[in-house]
Amino acid sequence: MGGHRALEVLITKMAMPRILVRAVRAAAAGLALAASASHGQVATEAQLKAAYLVNFLKYVEWPVQRAHLTICLFGRDSLGPSLAGYEGRQIGGRELRIRKVSSPEQLADCHELFIPDTEEARFGAVLRWVENQPILTVSDAEVFTRDGGAIALIRAEGRLQFNVNADALARAGLKPSSQMMRLARQIIGGVR
Amino acid sequence: MIKKVAFCAVLAAAPSLVLAAEDPAELSLEDLVKTDITSVSRKSQSLADVPAAAFVITAEDIRRSGAQSLPDVLRMAPGVEVAQLDNGRHAVSVRGFNGRFANKLQVLVDGRSLYHPMFAGVMWELDPIPLEDIERIEIIRGPGAVMWGVNAVNGLINIISRPTSTQAGGAVSVTAGTQGTGSVYARIGAAPADGPSWKLSAQGRHAEPSRLHDQSRDSFDRYDSGLVDFRLDNEIGGGRDLSVWANASHSSIRELWNVSPSFSPAGGVSLTSATPKQALHQENLVARYRWLTDTGIESSIQASIGHASLTVDDFARENHYIIDLDYQGRHAVGQHDLLWGVSHRGTRDDVDTNQPYVEIAGEAKTLRQTGVFIHDDWTLVPERLKLGIGGRLDRATANGTQTSLNASLLWTPTRADSAWIKLARSPRISSRGERDISLLTGVSLIPVPGQQGVNIPLINHVTNNSDLGPEKMKGVEFGYRKQLAANLGADLSAYHQRYTDLRGAALLGMYGCHPMFAGLGIAFDPASCAHFGLPAGSPVLFSQSQTANNLAGTSRGVELAVDWLVSPGWRLQLSYAWNRIDMDNNNDPIARTSIAVSEKSAPHHFGSLRSQWNIGANQQFDAWLRGSAGLDRVNLTNLTPGAMGAATYSHVPGYVTLDLRYAYRVNKDLELALVGRNLIARHRLEYISDFIPTAATEIAPSWAVTARWKF
Repeated sequence: MGGHRALEVLITKMAMPRILVRAVRAAAAGLALAASASHGQVATEAQLKAAYLVNFLKYVEWPVQRAHLTICLFGRDSLGPSLAGYEGRQIGGRELRIRKVSSPEQLADCHELFIPDTEEARFGAVLRWVENQPILTVSDAEVFTRDGGAIALIRAEGRLQFNVNADALARAGLKPSSQMMRLARQIIGGVR
Repeated sequence: MIKKVAFCAVLAAAPSLVLAAEDPAELSLEDLVKTDITSVSRKSQSLADVPAAAFVITAEDIRRSGAQSLPDVLRMAPGVEVAQLDNGRHAVSVRGFNGRFANKLQVLVDGRSLYHPMFAGVMWELDPIPLEDIERIEIIRGPGAVMWGVNAVNGLINIISRPTSTQAGGAVSVTAGTQGTGSVYARIGAAPADGPSWKLSAQGRHAEPSRLHDQSRDSFDRYDSGLVDFRLDNEIGGGRDLSVWANASHSSIRELWNVSPSFSPAGGVSLTSATPKQALHQENLVARYRWLTDTGIESSIQASIGHASLTVDDFARENHYIIDLDYQGRHAVGQHDLLWGVSHRGTRDDVDTNQPYVEIAGEAKTLRQTGVFIHDDWTLVPERLKLGIGGRLDRATANGTQTSLNASLLWTPTRADSAWIKLARSPRISSRGERDISLLTGVSLIPVPGQQGVNIPLINHVTNNSDLGPEKMKGVEFGYRKQLAANLGADLSAYHQRYTDLRGAALLGMYGCHPMFAGLGIAFDPASCAHFGLPAGSPVLFSQSQTANNLAGTSRGVELAVDWLVSPGWRLQLSYAWNRIDMDNNNDPIARTSIAVSEKSAPHHFGSLRSQWNIGANQQFDAWLRGSAGLDRVNLTNLTPGAMGAATYSHVPGYVTLDLRYAYRVNKDLELALVGRNLIARHRLEYISDFIPTAATEIAPSWAVTARWKF
């Protein structure tokens, strides 16, 4: 544990009273425990959301192939920093691009559009912009699939899972893989 | 130096803790759905691409704070100054000018303004919404008049309630604590697959009186409040939806007025105490309809009607109705994101005061305020540079037409940094109370020269000014946000705000109730004295002043927020604000006192450090260390004989205190928590009342247990 060691260094260097040293050691041990208690696969929620956005690109088939794959972020950008590390990576032989959008004219080359839950008031409008376009809409608001969006990332049982609106995917002309549909927590709309 | 090196070592070591976990980038969809989230953050707290000093408080932050009242929750936001007066009353402001009737902040709940038309501030003793029903609170510091209305001079607190589609089922939360505090919250709701979703919630809070400062007896601030809140959301389809809110709330609390002047017919003034009970009631009905046109215009129309009443025993009664109508349109086209709106507010009040200490001109008045605004966010360079520009016109009773303007530039050189600059001009229209209320503001004793032990009371009386106009502010702000690492972000802002036409008062003159004063060049005014029940011949002096827009000043400061995810289960959040107010000099003696009061009553800096720690999936341990520099408040009544007209001050010492919370999740529906609040310093004082001579109360350490059950 790097953090634990650093704290030890801090303790000795500062030549603190013994009782304080013990207290800080206990806190450091607690910190180590906190980190190790969650052993295995651990990630922050923003990192997980970013990973989902990238992964969906691999599990959905778009009607038209383009040279690049583009994830568009609408409105108040909360995932930008978490997605930055993926920018320029190759996904299925295509380069990943990330873009911010704020109006319908900017959506032309988007494969995927993320609308954060803070923009709940504008779901209706933005879904209207992408109507009949091959754009996969994703949000981290639970109500999103009910409102006509394609995928909602939801927090359930201590995990981040996703709901799918099959009708919305069909309307957009997108083909989800059977594996993705199997992993979905809930599917709304036409079963095929 | 050693400290510095060691601190850097900690900083350098931190990211490795996070990266020790498996890189989520390499996970497959199958792995992702199985990954546990132990991270404490639900979402980003800084609004990365807002060209303003912004901060978000999430529902989880509220729960983990252990706070029972809204002002206590707001303490976590950088730059929001919160001071508790007693069990129910709080003074809340941003960037200085705090007070019991602080008036430069706009507070909205789902778009409905909480501002009281009488004094343009918020009655915090009335819960506007149960804390459990809040989705998030967005706090924007600095002028925001163009989009948020003419009260948003120093900032906006925007409370957004949870959509009812996420509130199906029931929930109960019960808290019981030391000092006789308790609260109960219950909710029931439904969200059918098709058709409207709704929820009905109720909340009650109680607190036994707190201790009087520096005395071994209790005050009279027994606090009771209750609230019923209903919301319905109907998704109509095609981008149309209808929401309806209905709520009713009440609160009651007494206070001890240190000194209430009592005028004896024999010609003396004796200073007695009073313990009036303040009762507040409020009912609101709000409806909002949103729709989309085929051309892509998003529209929203909101209408609300509200009734509120305030009773302070026999001293004063106020009753008012408010009608609000608000339209907003939005059209995102090309590089432009255009927002516009029209709003109208009508207020009808009816006020009754039956003593001479507080009087109002006009027992019933109708006030109107109409505003129009337009704002454009223009992307100059995609991904890099955005210009925001907007203007607003308001026409309000007794305030004429006022213009608000703003311009901002947001530069995002990379995904991890953004810098912004904002220029704004924000007026604050004068409120009904400011224009029409006349008030006895204080009493002091003047020793009679050469006569040991004989003092003459000097009473300060401020008369109303129906021509009082708006206050004006021009400000410039800068901000810089940087994501230093995946787990470490910082947000810094600095501001310089120039105020003119601030409300103060100017001396009109002095008069005495005894003919002997005429010999000293002070008018003998038996008629005015009789108004206060003082017969001619009473040895009492009055200083008479009138409310005026005669103050100006500058506020400058720096605010910092740091968010550090030390490990996936441990998050630290730091907030800090430094502020200084410099008022312009003034020749008027009354204005000079107001200047000193404004400068001295703002703490120069304050801040907090919050720690949120998830001990595995079922336990949480949170700590919140917060502190503030001291401040000085003017004594409204001073029974120590002193020089004539010289204000005296009481010191509110700076403090550091600590809140702790331990929560255990018994199962997915039941959570138990133990909360300790204000654990450092036994008899802490946070504020001394202004305008009303309420005796100061102490904030003592307290403990409480909470059970939250969902079904």
